[in-house]
Amino acid sequence: MNLSTDYKITWCPGCPNHMILESSKRAFNSLIKKGYKKNDFVIVAGIGCHGKIFDYLNLSGFYGLHGRALASAFGIKIGNPNLKVVCYAGDGDTYSEGMEHFIHACRNNSDMTLIVHDNQSFSLTTGQITPTSQLGFKSKIEPNGNEIHPLNPIKLALVSGASFVARCDARNIEHTAKIIKEAIEHKGFAFVEILQTCIIFNPSLDHARKYMYKVDNGSNMKRAMKLADEWDYATRNGRIPIGVLYKHTRQTFEEKHDVLVSLMKKKVGWKG
Amino acid sequence: MKVIINILIGGQAGQGINKVSKIISSIVAKKGYYTFNYRDYPSLIRGGHNFNILTISDERINSYTNKIDFILALDIDTTKIHENKLNRNCIVLNFQSFIGLGRNTNVALAGALIKLLGIEKQDLLNEIKKEFGTKEAEHAAEKGYDSQGSIIKYHLKKLKNKINILDGSEGVAIGAVNSGLNVYFAYPMTPATPLMNDLARKVLVIQPESEIAVINAALGASFAGAKVMIGTSGGGFDLMTEGLSFQGMSEVPLVVYLASRPGPSTGVPTYSGQSDLNIALRGGHGEFPRVVVAPGDPVECIEKTNESFYLAEKFKCLSIILSDKHLAEGEYGSDSKPNRSIKFSVARKIPGEGLVRATSYEHDKYGNTTEDSVIVKKNNEARLLKYSKIKKEVKKFEMIKVHGKKNSKNLVIGFGSTKGVILDAIKDLDYKFLQVLYLMPMSSRIKKEIQKAKKVVLVENNLTGQLGRLIRERTGIQIEKRILKYDGRPFLADELRKELGKI
Repeated sequence: MNLSTDYKITWCPGCPNHMILESSKRAFNSLIKKGYKKNDFVIVAGIGCHGKIFDYLNLSGFYGLHGRALASAFGIKIGNPNLKVVCYAGDGDTYSEGMEHFIHACRNNSDMTLIVHDNQSFSLTTGQITPTSQLGFKSKIEPNGNEIHPLNPIKLALVSGASFVARCDARNIEHTAKIIKEAIEHKGFAFVEILQTCIIFNPSLDHARKYMYKVDNGSNMKRAMKLADEWDYATRNGRIPIGVLYKHTRQTFEEKHDVLVSLMKKKVGWKG
Repeated sequence: MKVIINILIGGQAGQGINKVSKIISSIVAKKGYYTFNYRDYPSLIRGGHNFNILTISDERINSYTNKIDFILALDIDTTKIHENKLNRNCIVLNFQSFIGLGRNTNVALAGALIKLLGIEKQDLLNEIKKEFGTKEAEHAAEKGYDSQGSIIKYHLKKLKNKINILDGSEGVAIGAVNSGLNVYFAYPMTPATPLMNDLARKVLVIQPESEIAVINAALGASFAGAKVMIGTSGGGFDLMTEGLSFQGMSEVPLVVYLASRPGPSTGVPTYSGQSDLNIALRGGHGEFPRVVVAPGDPVECIEKTNESFYLAEKFKCLSIILSDKHLAEGEYGSDSKPNRSIKFSVARKIPGEGLVRATSYEHDKYGNTTEDSVIVKKNNEARLLKYSKIKKEVKKFEMIKVHGKKNSKNLVIGFGSTKGVILDAIKDLDYKFLQVLYLMPMSSRIKKEIQKAKKVVLVENNLTGQLGRLIRERTGIQIEKRILKYDGRPFLADELRKELGKI
């Protein structure tokens, strides 16, 4: 199914966002082939370069506020628990402005997917640091380089209770498509961190791609924490495991509320 | 008015003061008496000093006074603290007469009072059974009742009135449920929390991580086809304002309940004031239409909440219901009944039914992001046009009410929770009262009423006269005579009457 729109794509030529878009289309298409209906999907986007995906994917969508995409995605799920909600957000969006929603989304385990385009910089606002920018990253406002230690979103998601935690390489379209599909099919909150470079403001990550390696799916928290520790966001040292680092099933937010369970059984929203 | 009885019930938080006022008001309401219960409490859970003033009357009563006929004291401090409020023949019912009843001391005091009001013991016991269902409580009630021997101060005969007791929060809840509310999103904040607690017994209530999450989640749920409402007080409303603006752009229907407290900032959380009209009218960046209503009693809460839902859905707009602590927690025993509620369904296309898009960006008719100057201009004009359509539609509803002496040349103007006290204060005075229920859009009749009057007095529970400012903005008329109260306490009827006398 053609999920493209005729909207002119304005990402920089060569930006890995094009590849995330392609991976997403492949993931949605393979789910549609499996029997999901196009109308079952709702995409949500935050504000930043990533958010433009709202205009490029021919699906129902909700283009939210900066930092708040995840809160709106949570609401859409409550507004109709039968929808498959896929939320796109940036690293500034998720880990800076919207951090509260990230942690609570992991706790809540609402049945939806969060895809973070982590390019370790605020790029649409021309290259300021985000909470995942490496030490020493130079920007207009940090001429001496970033001195604030970045956070590790994978570890944060794990300790916050996310039931599906994955990492992808944006440039690996096939692998990313497979992981996105698996994330959407996961029952519970699925977090997919896609590492990408910003080819204009923070291109350093491309040098680290050679340290990326695929791991098998795992459901062991100790293993996941160890894998999460391998790559140091601050120094850019270490091997970078990609794949589903952790996955287990537990009761979803929606399953805790009888009234939502009954909507799911009847396969209807509140409107009836 | 033959009967007017003011009862002050005081003690520490946790001693069951609200139970006492509830028992008494339920019993007298069943006898056909009107009641008003004012609650005064600091922001703490146990200890401190709380008090309620319950007024009972055979005529409609909508406010309280500081002239107390009975004190029910659950601790030593109560009588001392309220010494200056006592009428000459005030009767003190003291907890010390009921040592040994423990947690049921409050019930005994209620029982004693019921006896003094000349009400049958069986009426008391029936109420206690319903409210507590324990032998201990019944025993305490009986002990209290019998403690007064043969003393009877009043003979409250049965009247024909059908009285229903509601507070403003319950009114909003009824209006919302009548409108088909599916999900209420809120973060706890006094004085909006009573609505949250009440709705949790009736619909799905979700408590997200912050007010910012509340409004963004609610917009998502509304987009997906649910009828939603959110609620908060001043600081929480501030956090929501970016979301209000998002509503303006995305045109996803949203109803907001704003129960204000005296500000600025954390302010005076458990007390009352009307200082948030300005932000209700103007909160959120950019220019977009909205509806702001201010009901003045619980029955109007039912009606205006229903209208707010109807308008939000019909025009895909923002509706704000303005209340405050006094209205939200004031308990009105009244015989008035709400208008029949408007029924409506979600008619717009929702996700699952087809391709639906909502966005915070300026957008073309497909929902695609645009920066095109022609579309930007056109969309701004469309938002203005929408407001003019709302203006036309709301004419169907009571946007203002005129109370009191209809031909009087003396006019009092107010909105929201001051309704009750203004009504009580101008009783028998040569005044009429213009109550503004729709703050946005505003009725064109306001200007005519002001022009007809010789003397115009603005009454507001705030420092700067925010309704006065709005009227000046809309009519060009500056109301010079103002009675403003901003100590965190609502007006008292006798106090307001005195102030009106000075003007």
